[in-house]
Amino acid sequence: MIHVEHAVKEFKKIVKQPGLKGSINALFKPSVEIVTAVNDVSFDVNKGEIMGFIGPNGAGKSTMIKMLTGILYPTSGNITVAGYNPQKQRQQYVRHIGVVFGQRTQLWWDLPLSETFTVLKEIYQVETKRYQQRMGYLNEVLDIAPLMTSPVRTLSLGQRMRADLAAAMLHQPKVLFLDEPTIGLDVVVKDNIRKAIAQMNKNDETTIILTTHDLADIELLSHRIVMIDQGKRVYQGTLSDLKERFGKSKKIEFVISDMEQPIEQLLSQRFQQRGVQVYLENERGTLIVDRSIPSAIILKELLDLIAVKDISIKESDVESIIKEIYLTKASYE
Amino acid sequence: MKHFLKLYATFIAQYFKRLLEYRIDFLTGAFSFLFDQVTSLVFIFIIFNQIPALSGYPFEAIVFIYGFSLIPKGIDHFLTDNLWKVAYFMVRNGSFDRYLTRPIHPLLHVIMETWQIDALGEFLVGMTLVLYSSSQGIITWMVSDILLLPLTMIMASLIYTSIKMMVSAIALWTKRSGSILQMVYSTNEFAKYPIAIYHRMIQFTITYVIPFAFTSYFPARYFMTRENPWGNIGGLFLLAVTFTSFGVYLWQIGLRAYESAGS
Repeated sequence: MIHVEHAVKEFKKIVKQPGLKGSINALFKPSVEIVTAVNDVSFDVNKGEIMGFIGPNGAGKSTMIKMLTGILYPTSGNITVAGYNPQKQRQQYVRHIGVVFGQRTQLWWDLPLSETFTVLKEIYQVETKRYQQRMGYLNEVLDIAPLMTSPVRTLSLGQRMRADLAAAMLHQPKVLFLDEPTIGLDVVVKDNIRKAIAQMNKNDETTIILTTHDLADIELLSHRIVMIDQGKRVYQGTLSDLKERFGKSKKIEFVISDMEQPIEQLLSQRFQQRGVQVYLENERGTLIVDRSIPSAIILKELLDLIAVKDISIKESDVESIIKEIYLTKASYE
Repeated sequence: MKHFLKLYATFIAQYFKRLLEYRIDFLTGAFSFLFDQVTSLVFIFIIFNQIPALSGYPFEAIVFIYGFSLIPKGIDHFLTDNLWKVAYFMVRNGSFDRYLTRPIHPLLHVIMETWQIDALGEFLVGMTLVLYSSSQGIITWMVSDILLLPLTMIMASLIYTSIKMMVSAIALWTKRSGSILQMVYSTNEFAKYPIAIYHRMIQFTITYVIPFAFTSYFPARYFMTRENPWGNIGGLFLLAVTFTSFGVYLWQIGLRAYESAGS
């Protein structure tokens, strides 16, 4: 459904020295710097798949989405979505996609919500019978009927997001692009939005591309992820693969109650040959243990060896894996 | 075409609903609009009564040119005012994005999305002045004028629109071109009077560079004297068509350079 090959997007940026003087200098002698927002990214997405883009702020996720939706022209590379070139065939292409930017709304701000749908019906030339059918369905999924008579400006953020999703889905697009669909929402609303997205994906076989900072979005929705950092793809695959590859170990953290013993020596002797890493910092200690070793065994040995006040076991979760990938800036492919 | 008209009607219906949504604001706006029009008419007559003739043009001819200039200005202002927003902030704040995700050409979408009802004032004042002055015997109307006059007005409006198109397109590169548009657009003030009263530099500018003289003085002179139809009317048609094509072309290539705004 989506095919991206070596996509690159460069922006020209005028570099200014700080202060008014710098701005004035830049006015007469601008020094231009080229910033590569997306650097040679390739991936494919199948029909009906939900693919998540993750990456820190400024990684290039939004730029990638904007290229996929035809808003930005790639500097180089090939992009095909649903058989179209999003830039060259933009007007035909956008009939088949829906776009939601979490930070912006496409609803008619001053008017009751129903008016937005009236206009979208004309823009996408949805027949009246089909329109009623779609509205019924969208109301079922997103519960928008109670919002219809309220001016958009009076909607809460959560209500607005539901309305924006419905607006993007009215013409039953083949591909739905969601740029931070859960940004700024509370936990309950987030959950509802996620459920609705999953349901629309299932019912319509809509291919969905989403970017997010919230890893729960990814865990609950995405079949596959592409991780970008500094414009480069650093990981592509399923979430379980990611966990499998990078989440092999668990952490056992403990607080030592009696510091009189030769703790370091005792622990190293016992654990080192089993491949357990030992870290000590004052009274706090950490053991990094392979997931295949039962925690009970390690705990028993630890407690036999030294006096411990407190203890906790942490499975490595997606968040910590991703944090590690961001921090080490290495490619894990 | 049917789809286009239906869509346009829907957009404009939304525009009126938006106007009516804020009742007090609408009523105040409507009142100040009426007040504006009456005062500007009174003002024009006071001024023109002080100048019986200008550079050899009698009072009626000056009123005719003045009124003539307001009609295309009003038509353009009424129909394509949204282009100003592109020049001033739509590109800068990224709200232009949404036009690019809809199955309509963004230029068309921007223009058809709204009207500017205030512009009716310019149009109505212009019509009043043209009807008044032409009834004073400075023009002998011909049958062909039934067609030629409206067509001339459309072409003259296109000069305005195309200039706004071109300058607003610059914002697609520079993010903001409102001040340039303001500067270029304000030269239309020179079009209100016979160009003979200006310095040669200004005459040159409003004839060949920013050809606002073709939106009033030249065609008005044709209707008054029937001289040089190729230059006065033909020139206008040629400029309107080339400028509009170039404006559309600039938008076309500007869209490639559009960089959106971070989110």
